[in-house]
Amino acid sequence: MITANDMTLTYNDGTEALRGINLKIQSGELVYITGPSGSGKTSLIKLLMGAEKPTAGQLQVLNLSLPQAGEKDLLQLRQQIGPVFQELKLIDGRSVLENVVLGMRFLEIPSQQWRSRASEALEKVRISHKMMSKAEHLSWGERQRVAIARAIARKPSLILADEPTGNLDHDNAVNILQLLDSLRNQDTSVIITTHATHLIDRQRTSQLIHISEGRIVPQ
Amino acid sequence: MKRSLVNLGYFIREAFTLLKLNGVSHLLSFVSIALAFFLLSLVVSTWWVSLQIIDTLQQEAEISVFISEDISQTDQEALTASITAIPGVMGVRMVSETEAFEQMAAILGEEAEVLTYFDENPFDAYLETSVDPSQAAVIYQELLLLSGVRHIRDNREVLHQIQSLTNLQRVLGLLFIAAAGTATLVVISHLIRQGVYQNRNQIHTLKLLGAPPSFIALPFLMVGLGLTLGGGLLATLFTRWALYLGYQQLAAPLPFIPLPPLTVLFRNTSLVILSLSLLLGIAGSAMGLKASRIQS
Repeated sequence: MITANDMTLTYNDGTEALRGINLKIQSGELVYITGPSGSGKTSLIKLLMGAEKPTAGQLQVLNLSLPQAGEKDLLQLRQQIGPVFQELKLIDGRSVLENVVLGMRFLEIPSQQWRSRASEALEKVRISHKMMSKAEHLSWGERQRVAIARAIARKPSLILADEPTGNLDHDNAVNILQLLDSLRNQDTSVIITTHATHLIDRQRTSQLIHISEGRIVPQ
Repeated sequence: MKRSLVNLGYFIREAFTLLKLNGVSHLLSFVSIALAFFLLSLVVSTWWVSLQIIDTLQQEAEISVFISEDISQTDQEALTASITAIPGVMGVRMVSETEAFEQMAAILGEEAEVLTYFDENPFDAYLETSVDPSQAAVIYQELLLLSGVRHIRDNREVLHQIQSLTNLQRVLGLLFIAAAGTATLVVISHLIRQGVYQNRNQIHTLKLLGAPPSFIALPFLMVGLGLTLGGGLLATLFTRWALYLGYQQLAAPLPFIPLPPLTVLFRNTSLVILSLSLLLGIAGSAMGLKASRIQS
């Protein structure tokens, strides 16, 4: 599903965010990427969702080789991913339901299924009672759940969650991680970045990748 | 295409949200565009009317041949026969002084009262000569050579003056199209860029979710089109009113001016303005979107 060989990411301003990254993630795995703030976790997530391209080395995500990928390929890749952004990126002024449906409008999902899929996803994250509320009227924890619902309603092959426990109290953070854990199945892998290593259930984790200063550090 | 239709409601809602986001700017732009199109439609209409007048006058090619006062009846008949024999002449008819007076009274209509100020009939009798418009110039020259002809008058001078006016109107019309077009393109393109900038976070999110550029761009395109088409529509409504008033002002006091039917003029002008607004809306929005680089 994902392979990276000696992958490097250097931003235009010369900042080297990642270097010498080697990865192999199979379908159906639950992978945690840990590390302190600024270690390169978000840069790795950006690479995996095709928001950035590696400046050196190889990266293959869902059978697409990123360095060679064109705009159309990147578009198709992103359509197979369910992203949960660190800053959530919900659209204010729109209802919770509309936010979730928006993630499906341009996918090959019949329009008749949009609402039922959205309801199902909101039910799963236990926020369906606020379906018609405006996104900006929710608490951070509730917004977090809506962002996850938007990701899972798309039935993606890969869920990428960037710091989904940030700004949450202990109980809510554990609930969110358990929820994301429950979403993985034979066809769906879940990759979560977090610096809250104490919340990780290591028994259920397929891989724990620790990044420090842009490099993978053996545990 | 099918996906766009399914999302039509969403696109319309998004377009309205964008319009509301900069309500005052959009309203002022809408009014400016409508005003520009209104002025343009007036120029186009008058241009059209002038062309129509020229066309009508060219179809009505007539030469008035004024004969010498001392000519005998026999010579007058011989002159009429000579004129009739000229190739391209389709008919010759003597118009008496009295008939010439009555003709002018009919033309002046309500203003015919002015003719009562003359002590004597100021009009001369003449030979009304109908000619083939394509041969009018040659016939004119041949008539000058005939003896007994005092003076010849045709509508070529009038035609020439209207033609000059039409040429000026054409230049003005093209300048107006260029000015209104450029202004509309700049306004729409700027508004779209502004909208894209203000919605950059939402656009970025949509890109990361895998939304194609067309999905992101369509609401912006609808805003651009809405403004220009709406402006064009408002301009055509004002044009209809202005043309109606103009016809009322012109048709009664100047009944001899061959104006085209009002409905035809309005239909043609509207077609030009609405087509232009459609084209400019698409072009302006496309320019704005291109400058904003909405891509994956």
